[in-house]
Amino acid sequence: MWEITQGLLSGFDAALTPLYLFYALAGTILGTITGVLPGLGPLGAMAILLSFTLKMDATAAMILFAGIYYGAMYGGSTTSILLNIPGEAASVVTCIDGYQMSQKGRAGAALAVAAVSSFIAGTISILGLTVVALYLSDIALRFGPSEFLAIGVCGLMFLIRMTGGSLLQSLIMTLIGMALGTVGIDFLTGAERFTYGINELGQGIEFLPVAMGIFGIAEVLLSVQGKEVPKSARKVRLRELLPTRKEWKRSIPSMFRGSFMGFFMGLVPGPSPIIATFVSYFTEKRLSKHPEEFGRGAIEAVAGPEAANNAAVGGAYVPLFALGIPFTPAMAMVLGALMLHGLTPGPNLMKEKADLFWIVIASMYIGNFMLIVLNLPLVNVFVNILRVPQRTLMPIIVLLCLIGVYSVNASLLDLLLLAIFGFIGYVLRRAGFQVAPLILALVIGPMIETSLRQALKISGGNLAEVVFRPICLSMYVATLLCFTVPLVLKWIRHR
Amino acid sequence: MDRKTYRKQIIISVALFGFSLFYFLSTLHLKMGTPRNMGPGFVPAMLGVLLLASTAFHLIRVYRALPSGEETERSPEEAKNYWAVAGILVCTAAFPLILETVKFIGSTFIVGFAMLLLWKPRNLLFSFLLSLGMAVGCFLLFSRFFGVALPSGFLEQLLFRIGA
Repeated sequence: MWEITQGLLSGFDAALTPLYLFYALAGTILGTITGVLPGLGPLGAMAILLSFTLKMDATAAMILFAGIYYGAMYGGSTTSILLNIPGEAASVVTCIDGYQMSQKGRAGAALAVAAVSSFIAGTISILGLTVVALYLSDIALRFGPSEFLAIGVCGLMFLIRMTGGSLLQSLIMTLIGMALGTVGIDFLTGAERFTYGINELGQGIEFLPVAMGIFGIAEVLLSVQGKEVPKSARKVRLRELLPTRKEWKRSIPSMFRGSFMGFFMGLVPGPSPIIATFVSYFTEKRLSKHPEEFGRGAIEAVAGPEAANNAAVGGAYVPLFALGIPFTPAMAMVLGALMLHGLTPGPNLMKEKADLFWIVIASMYIGNFMLIVLNLPLVNVFVNILRVPQRTLMPIIVLLCLIGVYSVNASLLDLLLLAIFGFIGYVLRRAGFQVAPLILALVIGPMIETSLRQALKISGGNLAEVVFRPICLSMYVATLLCFTVPLVLKWIRHR
Repeated sequence: MDRKTYRKQIIISVALFGFSLFYFLSTLHLKMGTPRNMGPGFVPAMLGVLLLASTAFHLIRVYRALPSGEETERSPEEAKNYWAVAGILVCTAAFPLILETVKFIGSTFIVGFAMLLLWKPRNLLFSFLLSLGMAVGCFLLFSRFFGVALPSGFLEQLLFRIGA
């Protein structure tokens, strides 16, 4: 406990310096803007800004990304409530009742409840992140290659299960991501793999052009296909932002339920913020005394899911900080930013660079506070961003992607890879493939290969010794259950 | 699934299978080693086999799902959008090819302006000025603020000389 208090105090001491406050503010504003703009979610924003972080120190980059992630979760709710347009996928559920409340003249109350829910959930999840990440990193220090192999493999399998859509398609995407991760010089033998005489490929396929291509360029190409609709929303006055006593009473328990649920769902690989909102919505509906109001403007249906998607963000940071493994594509971006600064997250980083961890945690609190203080009064400003026509915005995004990728290595090959992966991402997404597993597998794949080779070397080539270790076995069994239980249940129901 | 979607799915499945086959055949040139002492090709070969199996299964599944319904006509608006997508991709791919010769501001302006034109601008002058502003703004932001060494020519030197 003393360690946490001391760490937090030193974190706040550093995070309250003007530079880090600036990055926290920039992150929350950029995040809110990307959350407001349909299509360009936190992933796209992080992908575009990844190269910018190279000129910052690692702590500033982490603060900026945390702000973007939180801000996007909150920003998405604004357009969901006022315009029935979910800024990003985790806000789809908020549209259902949030927009209905807006139609009944309670837009201000819905926005205020969404903001307070986000704040409470953010605070609870940061507390959870602090405690769980510290505890887990202590355990993870005792992990060997077999355990890291199990975490990597099970993480990817969970992701395939939870991503949604076809399991086979997700499996193919994961395998392609892992295959791309094998390009370059083999770290153990120094042999070149799949470089085909191109020297630059010896370093491997960089994460940045792949992520920017698949999430940045492909997003722009997909937006060309969609029709732009003129958006206009009613102005919300400041005095409308206060919910009634009855609304507070109904929403506060939902906020706490959503926060805890979201945090624990954030620990699971996959699109946790999205899943958390749906689980929270249906839980609230089941527990509500007025389930008939759901879909017609129930305040609990705004409070619960909004808390859940914010809390899931904090939860998603736990495996990254404690184990060094990203379980969501956004966390893969955060990992990418850390790796650009030569840092590898994991239990060792938390011990050796404890100051970075505590500053980021403190900045999350500050960013959360900034969100509630800034975003409610500025709600009309953010909604006006939607008026910027796509024909102006999209070319700017493409140019930022191009220059951003070039600025990291000054490599023309990276620019070509950006174009190629932009095209691949566009085609695959149009065909209904989920591309998130590809990105995560590209990051986790090399770690899995390293762990497998090290583990088998230690065990003398005995695979049973690698698999049948208590922690590993329990993880493999849990993964197996995750795949088999739904099938068994389906079979029982059919009979 | 209509005929057009079916055809698209088949093309994508064949492309994925082709990639898997190419990847698997490439792994055969690498040293495999033993489970105790894995060579650089061991894990890629395992991945190659899994990829081949899964993409082959996917191809069969897509092939067996016969199309139903008639092929829907592509609307003129949709066709125009496909051209825009192709245009943006060409712009993205052209940027690295012209960057070294036309230098940063020139290539950014050309690519930016071309993309603005693809998005059917309301005002040509506005698009021209916006792309010029973007090129100069990006140059100043990246070279001055972020300290990135960008390919510089006459225009870039001029900007530095006038004290920007």
